[in-house]
Amino acid sequence: MQLLIEQSLNALQLGFTLFLLATGMTLIFGIMGLINLAHGSLYMVGAFIGTTAASQSGSILLGILAGVAGTAVAGVVVELLVFRRLYHRDHLYQVLATFGIILFVNELSTIIWGRAPLLVEIPDWLNGSVQLMPGLSYPVYRLAVVGVGALVAIGLHLLVERTRLGMLVRAGATDRDMVAALGVNIARLYTAVFALGAAFAGLAGILAAPIQSTQIGMGEQVLILTFVVVVVGGVGSVKGAFAGSMLIALVDTLGRAYVPGLFKLLFSSSVADALGTSVASVAIYLVMAVVLIVHPQGLFPESR
Amino acid sequence: MKQAALSLRELRKSFGSLLATNGLSLDLMPGELHAIIGPNGAGKSTMIGQITGEIRPDMGRVLMGGRDVTDWPVERRALHGLGRSFQITQLVHGFTAEDNVAMAVQGRQGHSFRFWGNARGDVRLRTPARQALATAGLAGRADTLVEDLSHGEMRQLELAVALAMNPSVLILDEPMAGMGAADSQQVVDILRQLKGSVTILLVEHDMDAVFALADRISVLVAGRIVGSGTVDEVRNDTKVREAYLGEEAVHA
Amino acid sequence: MAVIASPAALAGAPRPALRPLMEATVLLALLALVPLASTLLDDSYLTTLATRIVIMALLAMSLDLVLGYGGLVSFGHAAFFGLGGYTVGILAFHLEDGTPIFGFAGSTSGLVTVPLAMAVSALAALVIGFLSLRTRGVHFIMITLAFAQMIFFVFVGLKYYGGDDGLILTARNMVPGVDLTDPTSFYYACLFVLVLVFLGLKRLTYSRFGMVLRGSKMSERRMRALGYNVTHYRLVAFVISGALAGLAGALAANEARFVSPEMLSWMRSGEVIIMVVLGGVGTLIGPILGAAAFVLLEMGLSDLTEHWMLILGPILVLVVLLLEGGLLSLLGKVRR
Repeated sequence: MQLLIEQSLNALQLGFTLFLLATGMTLIFGIMGLINLAHGSLYMVGAFIGTTAASQSGSILLGILAGVAGTAVAGVVVELLVFRRLYHRDHLYQVLATFGIILFVNELSTIIWGRAPLLVEIPDWLNGSVQLMPGLSYPVYRLAVVGVGALVAIGLHLLVERTRLGMLVRAGATDRDMVAALGVNIARLYTAVFALGAAFAGLAGILAAPIQSTQIGMGEQVLILTFVVVVVGGVGSVKGAFAGSMLIALVDTLGRAYVPGLFKLLFSSSVADALGTSVASVAIYLVMAVVLIVHPQGLFPESR
Repeated sequence: MKQAALSLRELRKSFGSLLATNGLSLDLMPGELHAIIGPNGAGKSTMIGQITGEIRPDMGRVLMGGRDVTDWPVERRALHGLGRSFQITQLVHGFTAEDNVAMAVQGRQGHSFRFWGNARGDVRLRTPARQALATAGLAGRADTLVEDLSHGEMRQLELAVALAMNPSVLILDEPMAGMGAADSQQVVDILRQLKGSVTILLVEHDMDAVFALADRISVLVAGRIVGSGTVDEVRNDTKVREAYLGEEAVHA
Repeated sequence: MAVIASPAALAGAPRPALRPLMEATVLLALLALVPLASTLLDDSYLTTLATRIVIMALLAMSLDLVLGYGGLVSFGHAAFFGLGGYTVGILAFHLEDGTPIFGFAGSTSGLVTVPLAMAVSALAALVIGFLSLRTRGVHFIMITLAFAQMIFFVFVGLKYYGGDDGLILTARNMVPGVDLTDPTSFYYACLFVLVLVFLGLKRLTYSRFGMVLRGSKMSERRMRALGYNVTHYRLVAFVISGALAGLAGALAANEARFVSPEMLSWMRSGEVIIMVVLGGVGTLIGPILGAAAFVLLEMGLSDLTEHWMLILGPILVLVVLLLEGGLLSLLGKVRR
């Protein structure tokens, strides 16, 4: 029972991380029609910048701030230089260009930070565990991540539903031309949306840094997961990003925790060893396949 | 009573809070040329979409020759004899005019899971294609790429492609839009030849063409048919004149 | 005369235009002469390099069928490539190991492994294609990527077949009448396959099937309105494409005598897309040029600096931003 709660909390934490990434990706795609493979790179850059800032200054809060701001700035720079010219292009070319960006950013990061994983120290006030119930202690930091994630989710909901920017975002997701006709500076709106998406990705990166190692390639692993979330949730929909993130995080976390054990119960140990972890890691893709068969537009598609 | 070639029964379609089709019913008799007229925003595109299968109605049925095709996808209806021309031309760029028409002909010749023979050299495709082009007045442009055709020629090609399908029911979505007088007359002549053998639903704004061709006219306003009848009946119906003909009545 | 890579030149005349035929012949001649140059220059690596290029060209061509002609951006083609390679590897493994797989003893006969590799890849393409083609545009790209990742992780997790470390083949497959252990013979065998597939695909793209596929890329709406079930045709193209990618994988496994999950990585999928676009989509020759260019570029740049990706990345971005038709259109512009 304790294991279940612990794993569920882990899933929640992963879910919010994915949510931060998926929201950015789904909005950028929904509004600008841009498929951005380099979204994972933003995640990585956030982790690197934030980790460096935190280690140098000794304050994790400063690290988070630096990570978010740095990534947002990097995102805006790339948007102005490259993405602006890609919005109207075929998805194929967007894939290619953003792929090129990944190569470049990965290599640049290797030069700046080296290949060894960076470690971040969790400050004392966030370190340690808390007793949630008898027999179950849970790391404070992970709870903090869940907390931050929840705050962001609520804030985003309010932003999208209650503010003018949010209205433009929602309108832009369903009718780009109308928004332009309203006299809104589309270019600036796009840059703002991109900066927001980048900031979220950077936040996810630096928040995840103490839990998983900060290293080259971390962006790609999480990128695929984000894709799955966006597809399952429904492209262009923030609600979908939330639902998708939680579902995928649950399936992945609980799958990895329980499937190998389950296999050991059902099959001989050699088969269980061989297949258990494989099946656990592909569980989310199976979910995606099922969603595709039953409801190809995703769980909460943006209605057009 | 004769079986309707195309029948729309109480179609209803909403897009969010917009009620585009509101209890639309229509019967097309075999061989007749039935024109649909109506103000802009009346729901013509949505109606056509539901006939061809691109749009699923919220309620109501679509029948072809008595068969309920409401749940049939676009391609199945096409194979069953439903042809259409698009208001905004949907031609295959990179192909010649003949290639485009040949695709229509090819669709009628069974499945296309044939991986070997050269389609362009196939007389079973080229001959009917050239004939269709000639009928549409595009004989000299057979080997011209679509992107090199003039706007008017593209519209003619659009019609030729639809005709080359040998449809039993033909939906024409403003085929004369943006055409000059000479080209329009040519289309009128072509359609006049088809009357009787093909059931035609003509959606048009060009009143001269409509009055010259139509066996019957229906008026579409706010997603439903408000009046139906022969040319004279509709012309003289005051309600219809008010609802739609309005300024056109001065010219008619 | 019109630029080579534009659909115009290929679609216009009743017969395929003469220039692509000339270009193909020139290319073929050049490729055929490589072993000769290799002997003259006393550089055996040249033949090996050319073999790798030919195999990549085959892979790129297979993708061009669905991407260039079908308009489907598949970001998971490495999966079919890897499955083909692993089929060869696993069959060799079991023959040596003595343990049967699904009741079969394994094999190192090229006449068995290669068709089997193609069949496995084709089957995977059928399943993945069936599921993925229910989506379009961006969804399709993401989904093909995700499925390929899935297969990647399966092989990483299969410790029995080496997992992350991969599988070594003690020897190349055997084909009666040809000594595949000889680099030159192996090269010509691969080149033969490339030419065969090229000719076959060229015919395919001009067939009734090919016309439907190409028409659907340009205007799916029109094709459906003419009665074509576009999804079915795309699925068949996808399966053919997957089978050919599997063929490339089988050859690659033989070339390196090694298979690893890296063959299935999404980076690899991305590289194949690069090759196709770099060379010119929808031309079949373009992918061959693109494969050559990419392999040579990768080699040249990595000789220059350890951080060659720092240069390749921006090159890609620039190619996308500036060059609309790939290398082939560049060549066309130069000739004009």
